Amino acid sequence: MKATLEAINQMQADGVIGKYAIGGAVGATFYLEPAATVDLDVFVTLPVTRGGLLSLQGIYDYLKTRGGKVEDEYIVLGGWPVQFLPSGNDLEQEAIAESVAIALEGVNTWVMKPEHLVAIALRTGRSKDHIRILQFTEQGAVDRKKLTDVLNRHGLTSKWEQFERKYLEGHL
Amino acid sequence: MTKPKLRARLAALSFSEKVKILEKLRERSLAIAAAGLRSTRRGSGKVIEGKVVQKDAE
Repeated sequence: MKATLEAINQMQADGVIGKYAIGGAVGATFYLEPAATVDLDVFVTLPVTRGGLLSLQGIYDYLKTRGGKVEDEYIVLGGWPVQFLPSGNDLEQEAIAESVAIALEGVNTWVMKPEHLVAIALRTGRSKDHIRILQFTEQGAVDRKKLTDVLNRHGLTSKWEQFERKYLEGHL
Repeated sequence: MTKPKLRARLAALSFSEKVKILEKLRERSLAIAAAGLRSTRRGSGKVIEGKVVQKDAE
């Protein structure tokens, strides 16, 4: 993964992407026990095109000329399939902006805070996202006050209450 | 060791150590898929090359 992160940092240095943060299963692994995943989710801010649309074309063009391999929705970098996810809402933009700077084997990178990982998982809402939220809560890896603030700020309070009723009542 | 204790011990590892485990888990997953036991692909990819239409974080 070191080579993967070096490639992403180079993309940032070359202006292909703006600020980025690791989310998804790899991001969660920073706070929890490792969970099997096939890819690396990288949330990015992108330059806006002339038409005003967010586009990954710049990333694809950049990486193709450098030997990058496109596989479905992934781009393989340093052996890891990477999914670039442009921040599409205020929650994701905040998650990127407030991400935590870390170093992996000497390579600087950014990981989302646990409260943002949980909020994004809640919004995404698949079974595996719910499992991940439960891992965060059961292991005390999320600050409940900060999480409440994030959920309120991004209109997820009602969804969280539904989640609590379904999965957490009687367990916390 | 109980399962909660094992999970806590794994969670307390450094990120570098966790990433090594992630890479082993991924290799195992790919080996299983290569043996035809299951697919490596997620079924809900929402990104068409060059055009983002929806997030689908793992």
